[in-house]
Amino acid sequence: MAGLLWRLLLCLAAAAADLQLDEARRTLDLSTHLAKVSAELSLTNAAGTAASTFLLALEPGLEPRLAYLGVQVKGEEEEENTLEVRETKVKGKSGKFFSVKLPSPLAPGGKVRVSVEMVFTHVLQPYPTHITQSEKQFVVFEGNHYFYSPYFTKTQTTRVKLASRNVESYTKLGNPSRTEDVIEYGPFKDIPPYSQDTLKVHYENNSPFLTITSMTRVIEVSHWGNIAVEETVDLKHTGAVLKGPFSRYDYQRQPDSGISSVKSFKTILPAAAQDVYYRDEIGNISTSHLLVLDDSVEMEIRPRFPLFGGWKTHYIIGYNLPSYEYLYNLGDQYALKMRFVDHVFDEQVTDSLTVKIVLPEGAKNIHVDSPYEINRASDELHYTYLDTFGRPVIVAHKSNLVEQHIQDIVVHYTFNKILMLQEPLLVVGAFYILFFTVIVYVRLDFSITKDPAAEARMKVACITEQVLTLVNKRLGLYRHFDEAVNKYKQSRDISTLNSGKKSLETEHKALTNEIAALQSKLKTEGSDLCDKVSEIQKLDGQVKELVLKSSVEAERLVAGKLKKDTYIENEKMHSNKRQDLVTKIDNILDAL
Amino acid sequence: MSRDVSILPMLRYLESAVLKLSELFWFNYRSTHHLASHGFYEFLNWFDERAWYPLGRIVGGTVYPGLMVTAGLIHWILNMLNVTVHIRDVCVFLAPVFSGLTAISTFLLTRELWNQGAGLLAACFIAIVPGYISRSVAGSFDNEGIAIFALQFTYYLWVKSVKTGSVFWTICCCLSYFYMVSAWGGYVFIINLIPLHVFVLLLMQRYSRRVYIAYSTFYIVGLILSMQIPFVGFQPIRTSEHMAAAGVFALLQAYAFLQYLRDRLTKQEFQTLFFLGVSLAAGIVFLSVIYLTYTGYIAPWSGRFYSLWDTGYAKIHIPIIASVSEHQPTTWVSFFFDLHILVCTFPAGLWFCIKNINDERVFVALYAISAVYFAGVMVRLMLTLTPVVCMLSAIAFSNVFERYLGDDMKRENPPIEDSSDEDDKRNPGNLYDKAGKVRKHVSEQEKTEEGLGPNIKNIVTMLMLMLLMMFAVHCTWVTSNAYSSPSVVLASYNHDGTRNILDDFREAYYWLRQNTDEHARVMSWWDYGYQIAGMANRTTLVDNNTWNNSHIALVGKAMSSNESAAYEIMRSLDVDYVLIIFGGVIGYSGDDINKFLWMVRIAEGEHPKDIRESDYFTPQGEFRVDKAGSPTLLNCLMYKMSYYRFGEMQLDFRTPPGFDRTRNAEIGNKDIKFKHLEEAFTSEHWLVRIYKVKQLDNRETLDHKLRVTNIVPKQKYLSKKTSKRKRGYIKNKLILKKGKRPNRKTV
Repeated sequence: MAGLLWRLLLCLAAAAADLQLDEARRTLDLSTHLAKVSAELSLTNAAGTAASTFLLALEPGLEPRLAYLGVQVKGEEEEENTLEVRETKVKGKSGKFFSVKLPSPLAPGGKVRVSVEMVFTHVLQPYPTHITQSEKQFVVFEGNHYFYSPYFTKTQTTRVKLASRNVESYTKLGNPSRTEDVIEYGPFKDIPPYSQDTLKVHYENNSPFLTITSMTRVIEVSHWGNIAVEETVDLKHTGAVLKGPFSRYDYQRQPDSGISSVKSFKTILPAAAQDVYYRDEIGNISTSHLLVLDDSVEMEIRPRFPLFGGWKTHYIIGYNLPSYEYLYNLGDQYALKMRFVDHVFDEQVTDSLTVKIVLPEGAKNIHVDSPYEINRASDELHYTYLDTFGRPVIVAHKSNLVEQHIQDIVVHYTFNKILMLQEPLLVVGAFYILFFTVIVYVRLDFSITKDPAAEARMKVACITEQVLTLVNKRLGLYRHFDEAVNKYKQSRDISTLNSGKKSLETEHKALTNEIAALQSKLKTEGSDLCDKVSEIQKLDGQVKELVLKSSVEAERLVAGKLKKDTYIENEKMHSNKRQDLVTKIDNILDAL
Repeated sequence: MSRDVSILPMLRYLESAVLKLSELFWFNYRSTHHLASHGFYEFLNWFDERAWYPLGRIVGGTVYPGLMVTAGLIHWILNMLNVTVHIRDVCVFLAPVFSGLTAISTFLLTRELWNQGAGLLAACFIAIVPGYISRSVAGSFDNEGIAIFALQFTYYLWVKSVKTGSVFWTICCCLSYFYMVSAWGGYVFIINLIPLHVFVLLLMQRYSRRVYIAYSTFYIVGLILSMQIPFVGFQPIRTSEHMAAAGVFALLQAYAFLQYLRDRLTKQEFQTLFFLGVSLAAGIVFLSVIYLTYTGYIAPWSGRFYSLWDTGYAKIHIPIIASVSEHQPTTWVSFFFDLHILVCTFPAGLWFCIKNINDERVFVALYAISAVYFAGVMVRLMLTLTPVVCMLSAIAFSNVFERYLGDDMKRENPPIEDSSDEDDKRNPGNLYDKAGKVRKHVSEQEKTEEGLGPNIKNIVTMLMLMLLMMFAVHCTWVTSNAYSSPSVVLASYNHDGTRNILDDFREAYYWLRQNTDEHARVMSWWDYGYQIAGMANRTTLVDNNTWNNSHIALVGKAMSSNESAAYEIMRSLDVDYVLIIFGGVIGYSGDDINKFLWMVRIAEGEHPKDIRESDYFTPQGEFRVDKAGSPTLLNCLMYKMSYYRFGEMQLDFRTPPGFDRTRNAEIGNKDIKFKHLEEAFTSEHWLVRIYKVKQLDNRETLDHKLRVTNIVPKQKYLSKKTSKRKRGYIKNKLILKKGKRPNRKTV
């Protein structure tokens, strides 16, 4: 295997000698805190055999700073397709090498035009490294005058774009021309392979040198229709460090004070983002604005304090997304298509990123398709609401990311839809057990000792309750009878009176019997209430007598045997007596 | 019923939409966090080296752990059940949960004292009364929040155990008391009130077996349990505050013994023995307490305790206690503000209780009287008054309603079982019959209430309801305005009504947290100690736990001395940053300049030679920051830090530059320069200013120009002397013109 690789490398080295660059036009964009290199190369195959790949090289000093490399072929009809890039090694040369696979092998003598895009981070060094609040920020860039390449180059130019026209110094190889904020080097002719010559520019750059020193992005997928995203961001201003005091007065009153500091920036969230929150360890950060646009949600983030050089801050931003936009399924097969990293601010640099994707409990056969190389750590389990065996968590790390890395990652997994029912059933089960326990506890007697007295008391209470209702009913009967008597007085129809009397008698008898039965029951229970009930019975008998008496009197009145005055007098007396008796009964009832 | 009660705190969440995070929250939260992340034993042994630098603080032994343990336990249980709640959320919502429990225990206690209706009313009152809501809004993570629940519940169980005389209830009461001891220093109130109750019962000849069982069990078990709290330790047997309980315990034993003897002796013998025995017992107890105090086994009364009896005591002897607004005597306004209508109705409830006295009503009467006294002494103790006021007012209201509203309900209720349905069908036909033979059950009540017409009833009822409605409105207003505004976030309103949030405190604290060294030591006045520790996570010199007065005085001295003297103190205390609060830009009145006199006073208490309060006043005795102010004030560190570069700032076109909005004065010292400090951070509205203490220079730089001894003149001095006359000359000297000598021919 090693031998094969070795042969491959030799072959590559041989290929390197055979290609040559006709023209290399390179642009160095140093206007932000990134160094963006874009180069247009035209390659010629000078060898006798067709070449399917070509090599790109990086100077030894720059290689750890490379964040992104993309190569495209410039076709005839403006269609651009990205080429596959693989890292390789070249014997005897330090630095990094990439082999780029051409879409079709380049025939001998054939030409192809490719454009290369590279982004380097942390290559602009602030100089001086410490500045006061009122000073401007100057940076130094050190690079190569030539396009570093393993091939012979016929002609090449370099164009350096700066952030401002205030340039302290720059190397003057080949007498470069400078206009405003652009320096043009070259053209240089016939450059041998691997040529290096230090290019150094020292210029003013007040663009925000913001760096995300570390970021954790947690994506929690729920099959109930929601994807929760939470990003924990550590920010640092990596420009020239603030020296001496920070004066709020100057910062507020003088517009150019703290010109390189960062007051706020914009984060673009997905258009469907809802319930956005922005906070840190000590609570909500009240200095932010949310703007909902048609195709995105724009959030103006203002850290609690302006960020000067060397200052850090830390915050958490989170939002919810509807899952139908990002989660696709075919039967039990699911695919989650989300951005691996999302926009935080323009020209962002992320030193270290950890992405955690929390899949629903029970997701299996997880397979990740990433657009670029990521370091998968071992999967974890996450327990949250109503989990029993834990949710699988995919953990991935990547360092040194830039805007170009905002690309989609696809996670495939299978999930049995029956498992969706697990959580509601769990809740139902829990409540079932709770209620069942309560039912069992209430219905069954768990006392260790039997308390006959309490039981007897309860029995008595039950009986007295019955007695109460019966007595009340019986008293109600008299009222009905009174009404019947009244009716009779009006209609002088003896039949109503008789029927009323009859019903009173029968019902009264039944009720009295019932009460008597209860009374005897009470007696068996040995309760002293029995006497009271008998007293009620006695009183009731008197009441009944009175009632009947009054009915007889009414009869006599109707029949004309009694004068009205005497009747009224008697009636009054009777009713008073009755009232007294009823009160007595009531009192006894209350005492029961 | 309890469902109704538990809804009330839910309402409270809505009312306090903005979380109120008090100062104490940060300390308690930090401790709870420590507990949750390190475990209970680690928490008990926690030595916090981040507070009281360089002394540190033994937190585990100087804190009532009940609150933290409760929150930690809830957090632990929830996380066991996979409910991933952050400990912070548990802390924030603990107070509302406990206010619900307080409502329930108040209901139970009032039901024991009076009846169910009064209980329900009392629960409603305590749920919304401002005096308690200040401790129960979400985010007020205070000891008091859970302590009031424990207090009420202990009292409920005590009443229950006095009523039943069962050991079971007494043990429950002891457990509840243990919880109270673990939660709040106010447990002393319980351990004095319950003996007082027993003592008064004895005096009232209401001694019974039940009281004996209840108190004996309570005292012994409660004493042992309370000694398990590390912070309390041996205090219950060694301090004077607890001696009343011990004395009553001894008295009760003696009394019980005499009662036992009474059964065995004749009346005559007994009486002599009784007086002899009682007076002997009282004398022995009294003398032994004095002896023990004298020999030092029992600590004498603490200063804080004296301040309860003499309101002027604190001002003279302990200015640090007097400087806290919560320790000021209560004003009538705050009584009304916190209790509203209840303060007027609760004497009525007390009267009802005393009218129908029994064992437990004696208790509530004592509770009410003592709580009223303490609430009058200190604003803070308003909290202990609130529950009893709620209960007694509820009794008063419920009594009134029973009289004026109750019978109507009774008229409708009882006849339901009997043949009312048939009756109702018939009644409309012959209404005139009704009066004579109404349902007989009411008939007897009709007679007793002949004096009250329905109109009077209606009017009284309406009036009462109106009062209650106004009370509810007041409570809502107070809650939304006074108590739910978070103390760390200030809000101002623009002309167009939009709210402007001034988040300066958190801005500055977060700056400290992120951009200073992890072990940086921050000096500030003690009010902000807990906040700095909690939010900025930095070491502080002094904090709200004001246990070391001299250390605070040292900070006060540094703040009130001039810069070079302060620098020496700060160097000796290893201070890296100094944080002050300055409200002059936005007109915030609670800033450090307004608190400054307290710093001076406290510093003067410890360092009377260096700091004198009178130096900070004008000869007329005024405290002024403008030109007329005393020069000592105008050059002290606090003044300089507050107004550094403020003299250049013109806030308004109508006012001169350097106009302090809080004190409405143009500052007197506009040319402020620092030698040993440098401005490190100032928040957006200048509310918080942080200064960095510079390290000593390698070589002392001079603040004046070097004195030059050998002056080399710039212009070369041109001597007027000519080469001929080199002997010096006199200005305007008369020059003698010499005549020419006639030429003489030489021979």
